[in-house]
Amino acid sequence: MITVKDYEGSVKPDWCPACGNFAQLSAIKGSLTELGVSPSNAVVVSGIGCSSNLPEFIRAYGFHGIHGRSLPVASAIKWANPKLTVIAYGGDGDGFFEGTQHFFHTAKRNVDITYIVSDNQVFGLTTGQASPTAQLGYVSKSTPEGNIEKPINPLTFALAAGATFVARGFSGDPKHLQDLVKKGIQHKGFSFIDVLSPCVTFNKTNTYDFFRKRVYRYESPDTGDFMAAYKKCEEWGDRIPIGLLYESIQETYEEKDPVYRKGPIIESPYRGITPQDLQEFL
Amino acid sequence: MYVKNIDYREIHIISSHNLAVREEETIVRVAGAAGDGVQSAGMIISKVFVRNGLNVMTYNYYQDVIRGGQSWYQIRGSHNPVRSQGDGLDILIALNRDGLERHTNPEINEGGASPLEGIAIFDQGITDYSPRSARYCPMPLAEIAAKHSKVALVKNTVAIGAAMASLGIDFSIVADVIRDTFGTKGNVAEQNVSAAKEGYETYKAKYPPLNKRLKTGGKGKLLLSGGEAVGLGAVSGGLKMYIAYPMTPASSCLHFLAAHAKQYDLFVKIPEDEISAINMAIGANYAGVRAMTGSSGGGFSLMVEALGMAGMLEIPIVVYESQRPGPSTGIPTKTEQGDLNLVLGASQGDFPRIILAPGDAAQSFYLTREALNIADTYQAPVIVMSDLYLSEHEESVDGLDLSFTPDYGKRPGDGEANYRRYLITDDGISPRAVPGQEGLMHNEDSDEHDEYGNVVSDAETDPRKRVAIMEKRMRKLEAYRSTIPATDTYRFDDADVAVVQWGSTRGVVEEAIDLLRERGIRAGAVEVTHVFPLNSDIEKLLKGKKVIVVEGNYTGQFNRLLKSEFPVDTVLVNKFNGEAFYPGELAGMIQGAIRN
Repeated sequence: MITVKDYEGSVKPDWCPACGNFAQLSAIKGSLTELGVSPSNAVVVSGIGCSSNLPEFIRAYGFHGIHGRSLPVASAIKWANPKLTVIAYGGDGDGFFEGTQHFFHTAKRNVDITYIVSDNQVFGLTTGQASPTAQLGYVSKSTPEGNIEKPINPLTFALAAGATFVARGFSGDPKHLQDLVKKGIQHKGFSFIDVLSPCVTFNKTNTYDFFRKRVYRYESPDTGDFMAAYKKCEEWGDRIPIGLLYESIQETYEEKDPVYRKGPIIESPYRGITPQDLQEFL
Repeated sequence: MYVKNIDYREIHIISSHNLAVREEETIVRVAGAAGDGVQSAGMIISKVFVRNGLNVMTYNYYQDVIRGGQSWYQIRGSHNPVRSQGDGLDILIALNRDGLERHTNPEINEGGASPLEGIAIFDQGITDYSPRSARYCPMPLAEIAAKHSKVALVKNTVAIGAAMASLGIDFSIVADVIRDTFGTKGNVAEQNVSAAKEGYETYKAKYPPLNKRLKTGGKGKLLLSGGEAVGLGAVSGGLKMYIAYPMTPASSCLHFLAAHAKQYDLFVKIPEDEISAINMAIGANYAGVRAMTGSSGGGFSLMVEALGMAGMLEIPIVVYESQRPGPSTGIPTKTEQGDLNLVLGASQGDFPRIILAPGDAAQSFYLTREALNIADTYQAPVIVMSDLYLSEHEESVDGLDLSFTPDYGKRPGDGEANYRRYLITDDGISPRAVPGQEGLMHNEDSDEHDEYGNVVSDAETDPRKRVAIMEKRMRKLEAYRSTIPATDTYRFDDADVAVVQWGSTRGVVEEAIDLLRERGIRAGAVEVTHVFPLNSDIEKLLKGKKVIVVEGNYTGQFNRLLKSEFPVDTVLVNKFNGEAFYPGELAGMIQGAIRN
């Protein structure tokens, strides 16, 4: 029997008190526990940023790599050993600036991993610059006159790329968040969960109060309706929907690559080159 | 200060006094436009040679175009060892007028290649050429082809038949190779065989044979490009995943492995960019599966940050780096050895890295699989450096030793108590757990960390822990250094002049030394395959000798490395025009350097 205690890391998170990341760490630990995943089979991969420090704070296999590159690492871990439960985790700067091309192509490939983004609309670790999801007019160290670049919408981006599971959570609603993370892990294919996660230190605009006033739980009548989901994902302003917005079941990359017909790569024995293999060179 | 560059345009080319040697080898060149079937024709001739037991080196001169331009493919064959593309040209198969003009004209000395000394085979429809000293053998190539097939390119096969007749090669082997090349689809193969046969007979009836004494009929050999040899070596070494973004000249390995993925049970993937490619390959190795990536300098530049991550997390990774002339896009279809500084200095900070540079196709096979074992043993990045010359030309290989035992390095047992991923050890190597192993959960971190993988760079910065873990990592390099095999030498015992080379110049340096020895110059070669760290035995080898460093780049990147490692005075002999060294040219350059 797996309990949340089994996922308790030896290192205490160094996030600011009340940081939105705590709720996500708790949701990840809680979901893995509920799903009965052994910590020996759980891998959490991250890039660089405040949120990306998470692998250190969970007792699982952690991979704290470089900025923006969690998804290629996570994909290949899954490809090497499909029996593992692989979660990629990081911030909006990490994922939607330097990691953009990986996000797009991992979604398109439908690799069976879960990607959770702590979206706080700001760079925390580098002390408060505007991120790719920073709102128009947002004043920060890098935009003292206010942000003039439109924010990206990670949800419609994921949909356009072909993601088969697109959801939005809120760190201020941890129970709902944990349910989404659990569903995302269970989803066969690439699941993407954008989590509205207030940065209590550097983002004085997008605060818990800001989101509490706007966020509402949304239950889609038909999560398989792509156009309806796209429209819902565009809703942003006075009302912001959270919940599972789109899901479709499609073949995963691993199911399509013929190499897996003989089983997981990690279990395939040494093959080498045989004298017959050299015939074609004679 | 850089060593003064030698002006390779004013080199005195040295040729062999031993005319028998030239009679015992032949150089055939197929010339035409891209899309004319130059390479396919060249491959058939190469295969005919290796099946006759001849040693073969090919040289592929092509441009960065898919159709048009001028390209040629050269095959040098002999029962004696051939270690470079060679000097001279005996048989020209000109597929168009331009090809005929260029390769018979001593003024257009393309890529440093010699003009034709023997016969030119071409379609008799080409009449408006300026006759030079070659023996012209116009043939009804198109006419014969039309009798056997509707496909115009069959005229190439007719020309191949004629060329093989000029060398007195048994037609049955030519027919076998054509059948194998065209396969069993329809009667294409038989049409080509009969066309070649008529070309063969027509030449014999019309023209005398070339004055060559090739000993054919020996045991067949393998014909391999360096890129294919890297792919084969990787699979022989236990490779399970190859993830790479296309870039000439590293793509030949990618194409080879993709084409054989099913046969070899291999996962092959082109991801969105080279950054993804190396991060994926590192991720797979982290998970316990042997994976590699490969690229040329441009793609490798994108991999730099992740290479350092592998150094920090101590994850094995082998990168195949096949060089072409830089800077930037440079010359995509030419050769150079200009990426050594890049590979040596790639990524911030100090971490153990190992650089290997095979000198020929067989070494490309053996060193790639050795690289996989080294990477796993030392949990560090290993870069296998090749270049366009080595990656893209075919050469004969007598045979390959296929027996190999993968060494996956130190691994902990499941459930080991108090597991420390970065346990401090004497040799710096810590047992490496992979995800899925029971109870060995830990964090691998690009931030500086302690033995457990816990970060020591942020809130708990601890200078003592930093020093301890840094020294642990760097000790792996010293542990590896003691295992480097003795440095190879060539005709070195009585040498006064030590010619030091690395990578693909190995064969041409040996041939240049043979030429210099004919002139009484006691030169020998020091042949470096383990480029970094260097074996300390090199210092002893160079002591008291006139030292000349040969390499294909502008500043002498290896020369500088050598001088930084050992107290030695050197003269640099270099070339950076995009073409490989030719033996006669190189001998002339070395002779010039000895005099200076």
